Parts: sequence; structure tokens; C-alpha cells
Amino acid sequence: MTGVRQKVVIVPCSGIGKTYGSVSRQAAYIVVEDLRPEDTQLAALSRLVMGDEASREMLARNPAITIDGCKLACATKMVRESSGVVAQDFAVLDVYRRYKQFKPQGISELNEGGEQLALALAEEIVGVVDHIITNSGGKEHRSINNLPERGENG
Amino acid sequence: MVDLPKKKVGIVACSGEELAEGTVTRLAALKVLEHLRPADTVTICLPLFLAGGAGDRAFARFYPTIAVDGCELRCAARATEMYSSKPAASVMVRELVAEKALGQPEGKRRLNGAGLQAVDETAKRIATLVDDLLEKHWNRRTGEFTEIVPVQTVQTTLQETEKVATCSCGSGIPIQKLIISGQEVTFVGLPLIFQQFREAGKAPGDATLGEIMDTVKIYNLVPVEDEPAYSEAILGEYRVFCGKEIAR
Repeated sequence: MTGVRQKVVIVPCSGIGKTYGSVSRQAAYIVVEDLRPEDTQLAALSRLVMGDEASREMLARNPAITIDGCKLACATKMVRESSGVVAQDFAVLDVYRRYKQFKPQGISELNEGGEQLALALAEEIVGVVDHIITNSGGKEHRSINNLPERGENG
Repeated sequence: MVDLPKKKVGIVACSGEELAEGTVTRLAALKVLEHLRPADTVTICLPLFLAGGAGDRAFARFYPTIAVDGCELRCAARATEMYSSKPAASVMVRELVAEKALGQPEGKRRLNGAGLQAVDETAKRIATLVDDLLEKHWNRRTGEFTEIVPVQTVQTTLQETEKVATCSCGSGIPIQKLIISGQEVTFVGLPLIFQQFREAGKAPGDATLGEIMDTVKIYNLVPVEDEPAYSEAILGEYRVFCGKEIAR
């Protein structure tokens, strides 16, 4: 092993025209900047689209968690296209179904419901991140198994 | 009346999540789409050029497109050209920030004052480019500007109702694939064309076919030597379409 601490790569969708895209982006920032800055890093989808070598290398060495705002699942598809391993894919709509009390609105700026949904999503993502990091013992690996089940309302 | 797209300008923002400038591209694009030029612009999520279908990849051929990038990597401009068609214009936030002597944008989640200024300046630049591009004639078959005024029988007469930002998550350009002489051919906009003719009460037949083909040729390349085969296939498909509508 290289001794490089493993990080989980968080890949939100770039959805620009719908609220769920903004929720996806916001949740990714909450995880990477607030909740698990030591264990996660962000990957920009636009760089994956261009086949950016540094991004591909990052995905080759670390598992990814993708967050998609719509059924087209661009983030998940792009990680797989880039030969990355998707440890867990989250669809914002599915998460919303578990937290229907939060009604997201807004694209440029999310309303309170959108912010709350992003936080709930981020907390689910953190659960997966912790599982990955704990099971990997901080070492690099390529496949993730036995991830925790996600229940109703978190 | 069916909303067969009139001439609009496409905006593709890099949305780079890693940089404050990426957030600037996203917010500036949204400002143009929602507030500055809502009736004249559409957008697509950049990854759809790869993750989407033929209708998504036709985007920059169908619309003259402005690529909006945050940094020197110019992912939006390069990806648009690589997977769709060459953008008609480009804006790069870092260049604009230097040109306008603005402060350094910071804060990916919540932009600082300089970042918000950069959003305003970028949006203004995009809106100016939109106006410039709308004055020129765009050829949807070649994806290039042309000095020759193309046949415009449809798009100029359609009502424009979209007033909000739209992306291609479910709102891409509709396409239809037909088998012609054993080859699969993709037609951009064909479902909307059929719907429009059907709603106008035009029955399938030779009298309508010429009109349909004129409209199809606005959006698609029809090789002269293959036109009879194309016409036959499209008329057959229009019959099927009308049959389904009656059955509903």
C-alpha cells in the first residue's frame, strides 16, 4: 500500500435547471466542507466530462459517492465512464421521498426546505463515508461491499 | 400550437464545483435564463453531452451556444465542441474578472461580494452575446452561422411560453429514429413536427408531405439523392403517428 490516506470522492450532479440539482450540490458541500473534510474530496463533473487525468486518477484510487438530481444520473454515469467505483449512488428524489416534510424550492438559492433536505442527504452520505473509511482502515481499495441499509427518515 | 423551438441561444455553464468561479458561471447562467433573457435562452447540463442521448448531443447544432467557463481549463467550451458542436461564443470568468478589475471571487457555496459582482458582470456579458447572436442567421443543419436567410416557415410563427430556466433533464430536443434503406437515421425535432402538423389538421398524404419535408429540412440534413426514400419513410411514420393520435 502507498500509505496515502484514502478519501471518498463526492460527485454531485451539475444540474442547473432544477431544484434537485442545487440540493445535490449543496449536500456535497456540506459533506466535504463541514461534516467530513478529512475523509472526503469533491470532484467536478465538468472535469470528468473532459477526461481530466487528475480526476480519473483520484477515482482510480478512491471510491466515489454520487449524488444525482434527476433520473438521467449524469454523476453516476460519468464516474463509471471514468473507470471509477461508485460505492453508493444517491438520487435526490429518493431522498426527498424519505423526508417529505422538507419541500425544496429555488435554484440559485435554496429555500429553507431545500437546505434542510440537503442537510438530511448530507447526513446519509456521511453514514456511507464513515462505513467506507472504517472498513478500509484508511487504506486504498477498489470495491465496497456490505454498505449500511438506508431506512425511512434516515 | 406545439412549441417547436424558435430561435434561441443555448447557454452551457461549466458549473465547476471545485472553484468559486464555477459557482459564478452557474449563477450567471441562471440569471440570464431566469431574469435577463428568459424567452431567448435555454440550457443543458454539461455532462449530458456524454451521459445523454442524440437529442442532447444535437444541442449546440440546434442552438448557437455560449460556453461559460470559470477557469483556463475551459471545460464547457471544449466539451461542447468535442461532443456537440463548436460554441458560437465563449465567456471565461477569470478573464472577465481581470478585465473589469474585480476582486477575487471566493466562497463556492456562498459567494463573497467580489463573486456576486462577477456574477452580475458575467450575466451582462452573456446577455449582450445573446442579443448579438439572435441578430445573426443560424443554420441548424450545419450548426453554423450563415449569411443566407434560411427557410423559416415554422419557428417564427410559434408562440413562446417558456419563461423559466429549463435544462435538458427531461426537456432535451426530441428526436426520432427511422430506418431508411436499412440505415438508422436520427431526426431532430420530428415528434414535434408531427404533432404540429397533426394539430393543424393536416392529414397524411402527398399534399402535406412537401410541407413536412420543408420543416424537417430546417432541422436535419436530407441528402438530395436520398430524398425520395426519406420522404417515404417520414410520410409512413406520420401516418403511424396520426393513427395513434386517433386511437387515443
